Amino acid sequence: MGISDVIPVPVAIDEEIEKWTIFGQPVAEVWFTTTEKIHQIIEMGPIKNIFNWGRKNSVYFLMQPMGCCGVEMFVFGAAPYDSDRFGCIPRNTPRQTDVMIISGYLTRKYLPVFKNLWEQMPEPKWCIAIGECAISGGPFYDSYNIIQNTGDYFPIDVFIPGCPPRPEQFLEGLMNLQEKIKQRKDIRDY
Amino acid sequence: MDGIIEIITKFAAQEPAIFALIIGLIGAAVISGVVNVGAMLVIWGERKVLSDFCNRFGPNRVGGRWGILQLGADAIKLFTKEDIIPGDADKGVYVWAPIVASMATMLVAAAIPFGALHIGGRNIPLVVANMDISAFYVEAALSLMAIAVFMAGYSSNNKYSILGAFRGIARMIAYEVPMGVCVISVAVMAHSLNLVEIVESQTVWYAFAQPLGFAIFVIALITDLGRIPFDQSEAEEEIISGYNTEYSGIRWGLLYFQEYNNALLGSILLVLLFLGGWHGPIIPIPILDIISPLIWLFMKVVIVLWFFIWVRSSLFRLRIDQVTDFGWKWMLPLSLLNLGWAVLIGSYFA
Amino acid sequence: MTTASEVLSSIQSAFPGAVIDSRVESDLRLWATIDSKKILDVCKHLSSKHSFDHYSGSAGVDWIARNEMEVVEIMASHGTHKVVAMLKVKTPRENPSVKSLTGLYWNASWYEREIWEMLGINFEGHPELYPLLLSDGLIGAWPWRKDFKGYPDLTTGERAVEITTPDGYTEYRFPPTPAEVEAGTVVVERPKYPTFQEREEMAITSDSEMIMHLGPQHAMVPGPFLLDVLVEGERVKKAFLDLGYIHKGIEKIMENRSWLQGITYTDRMCYVAALSNNECYCGAIENILGLEVPQRAQYIRVIVEELSRIQSHLIGTGEFLTLIAGVGFAPWQYMIMDREKIISLIESVTGARLTHSFVRFGGVRNDLPEGFAEQCKKVLPYMKSRTEEFIELFAQDPIYHARMENIGSISPETGKRMGCSGPVLRATGVAYDMRKEDPILVYPDLDFKVITGTRGDSADRIDVRLREILESIHIIEQCLDRIPSGPIKPEAKVPKKLPAGEAYYRVEDPRGEMGMYVISDGGANPYRVKVRGPFYATFQTLTPLLEGTYIADAVAIAGSMDGCPSESDR
Repeated sequence: MGISDVIPVPVAIDEEIEKWTIFGQPVAEVWFTTTEKIHQIIEMGPIKNIFNWGRKNSVYFLMQPMGCCGVEMFVFGAAPYDSDRFGCIPRNTPRQTDVMIISGYLTRKYLPVFKNLWEQMPEPKWCIAIGECAISGGPFYDSYNIIQNTGDYFPIDVFIPGCPPRPEQFLEGLMNLQEKIKQRKDIRDY
Repeated sequence: MDGIIEIITKFAAQEPAIFALIIGLIGAAVISGVVNVGAMLVIWGERKVLSDFCNRFGPNRVGGRWGILQLGADAIKLFTKEDIIPGDADKGVYVWAPIVASMATMLVAAAIPFGALHIGGRNIPLVVANMDISAFYVEAALSLMAIAVFMAGYSSNNKYSILGAFRGIARMIAYEVPMGVCVISVAVMAHSLNLVEIVESQTVWYAFAQPLGFAIFVIALITDLGRIPFDQSEAEEEIISGYNTEYSGIRWGLLYFQEYNNALLGSILLVLLFLGGWHGPIIPIPILDIISPLIWLFMKVVIVLWFFIWVRSSLFRLRIDQVTDFGWKWMLPLSLLNLGWAVLIGSYFA
Repeated sequence: MTTASEVLSSIQSAFPGAVIDSRVESDLRLWATIDSKKILDVCKHLSSKHSFDHYSGSAGVDWIARNEMEVVEIMASHGTHKVVAMLKVKTPRENPSVKSLTGLYWNASWYEREIWEMLGINFEGHPELYPLLLSDGLIGAWPWRKDFKGYPDLTTGERAVEITTPDGYTEYRFPPTPAEVEAGTVVVERPKYPTFQEREEMAITSDSEMIMHLGPQHAMVPGPFLLDVLVEGERVKKAFLDLGYIHKGIEKIMENRSWLQGITYTDRMCYVAALSNNECYCGAIENILGLEVPQRAQYIRVIVEELSRIQSHLIGTGEFLTLIAGVGFAPWQYMIMDREKIISLIESVTGARLTHSFVRFGGVRNDLPEGFAEQCKKVLPYMKSRTEEFIELFAQDPIYHARMENIGSISPETGKRMGCSGPVLRATGVAYDMRKEDPILVYPDLDFKVITGTRGDSADRIDVRLREILESIHIIEQCLDRIPSGPIKPEAKVPKKLPAGEAYYRVEDPRGEMGMYVISDGGANPYRVKVRGPFYATFQTLTPLLEGTYIADAVAIAGSMDGCPSESDR
């Protein structure tokens, strides 16, 4: 039982708000048009660039090693290659991450879990597929348990080929993703 | 200039209540600005110094080669993230937890002296609310963060979060007592609970007068701040992210930010209580001599924070039962011993 | 010293008529087909009279042409003697069923569950015959049978059709009936077993308990696997393991590839110890071919495998450190930094960081590069001093001792009974090392110690790994001094088709005993490749170890096992 159960919120408040008017129009509608206007202004002007700059330089990735590429991901986040230079650090909870790295083979048993993780991430979010297995099934193209094209299930932004790719390739993929974020025209994703 | 001062004094005499309110508001604005900017610098410093310990570079792509704007980028990103409240969460508590956390730090900031100005041969402390029991008040208000942690963990409806919340509370109870006893020991020697008076009475730093109390206070402070080796409420490798597992976007940003706010305020408290506060030789250069107490305090705080980061990069995390064991079985008796020592020394010097 | 022929004659005299067919390959390998009714008695006899106390695993083989199935039990001893007995049990292909060895060997459980779900061989007397690796949609499809139509069918090149089952799973059906294609859905008659979630929910007895997931996505897991703990407060009361989140079906895929292509799949089985996997596969095939490896190639193999062991131990220890100290902990970053030096050495020889495919049948792919010995002489002393520093660091840290000492302790008897191997078993004090047990390559000529611990706890496991790094450095230094010049490949070309035969080959993986059982039917592809992974065996011990610990310790114990789920799932 939560506090909102103890102190009941008046149910009628939504209905009340619907009746309110401002400048002769319903409040909800005014609110809607105003936010729409604000969004338009943001998307036109330099504020968009500021937003994109922030998102670009602070890409937290979900720590989820899944295969050979997982080991390289570990190294990529650690001292030798130091993804922190780009403001890219690993987080363990999907709620606080911006990019999901599919670092290996996606099996039929893992797919529902992985999809769930993806959906737990807040917008705007990005997805990187690393390695042949994540891109097309790779050497396991005829396996009975491997999902062949992860692109069918996740909107992948950057593909990094290799088996496994070197950590330098990870860095390049990250920089490509940053470029993609920077070019983004539509900042409304939430 | 004189005219303005005249108007202000006149106004203060006519409407003392409103004048006090205005002064308080200005003070609050200044203090929150100082604390928040300070905390941002602390986060940036932690990332850089920790990188240095780990043989890395740390952020170096935005804001020059030192990556000073990294925090700005993080903040903008978190501000524009989707705001998720889990469906089964206790929404009221969930939303209020980060706000309570910020209020807790502001409560601390109100009573803590941020330094002093050396004008006319004496130190004028910079403090918003100079209360008589400020040492005790600050120590108590620092632990309000534990309430916010519990609110966040309890309301998230997440198993990891609730475990983190319980751990946070258990740790807080075990360590708040020795910490309080240490503050009392300092007060016994200073004959006051006012932080300003405690600082002014430190002809010898209390870290030297009662080394045991100093050690206990440092350990308890690290526990209170929830830093390694006492970060069980977050323990990323055990319970994902602990109490803030379900938090995203700016709400998580606030919770994360308050931890560093607390780290800054906690280290100021440590410096004030044990390391002589703003005491230090006055720099005999015009203007610099006015702010030289501030410089000394700043340097001491930086050293303390650096020490905390050093500890983080070189110690293992303790298990929660070991933490509480250590708190009750060692820290509390030792802090009482230290209290006895403080009474002895204090009465000898008195 | 016990030899294979002695063991065989002992079985024959104790159970007349039990041995249907037998072959003594060498002093160390015994192949025997045992009457399926007598298998339990024979195993009891072997374990009590000849100290076959190490159940190394079992393999199921589908002989579709002979219309029968075979279960091969692999038995060995923990250091008493070096004989490996391969006992085969035959069963008809319709309703296949053999006797379970779980009553005799605790660790037989997972091997039998795997054979059951992959091949459909029933095990009489198995207490919990539940799915282990496969997702629910595939149970009952028996994917490792030879008549399983996968995706796509390699013989005809036709691709299977994607179909959604009523439970929401996507399946590849081959060949689907026209009605099924039209409906886009298919009702598959599959046996229903309680799911993993249902089984663990049965364990909850009171309101104060809850089940917490550590995985598949968790900071603790080195690859996805599900470790669920039933906790009351901070105390773990019971642990459950679910595998198969990265089950790739490598053993099945290798049956569809040429012999040479198989090497690339061994790389991807355990990517931090790819070279010992290469070695294991190639060694088995050399046994079938009767190939002699040139001396220089043997030395090169030993050098790269020991380098690979060093880097594997470093990253394993590094990952473990993050679990008990957080990612801000500096020494684990130092370990990864030092590992990069070793990796670049390996890379200069093999050309790859992780997946090398370097070892070839009867030799190696290429010779050592110029200046390799000089590079090694620069890096190895540095590595040695660093490792000594790490050992000292852990030996002196009081918090580390408070956290890790007597946590997750395994006694030598338990370790043997549970089928552990590698550093996990050696930490308990049992000096069991494949490099000494199975004299392969030039290991018998080299001077090295088998590192053992005393308590068998998490701290010991880490200590053993770090001290093994020093031993490996010692081995490499000897090899560099002694390496002769000469060819690195066999003179004759290795044929595309191997002669019919079978072999079981064991190497010491960084995680323990790695064995591969390879069957050739005279074709261009392997008929069956069975991998006995070291971590698969060690993995089983995790659940009993975690009972009664704290959550923080559960994470640390799992980390101290140096897991590689990719190799255990295959």
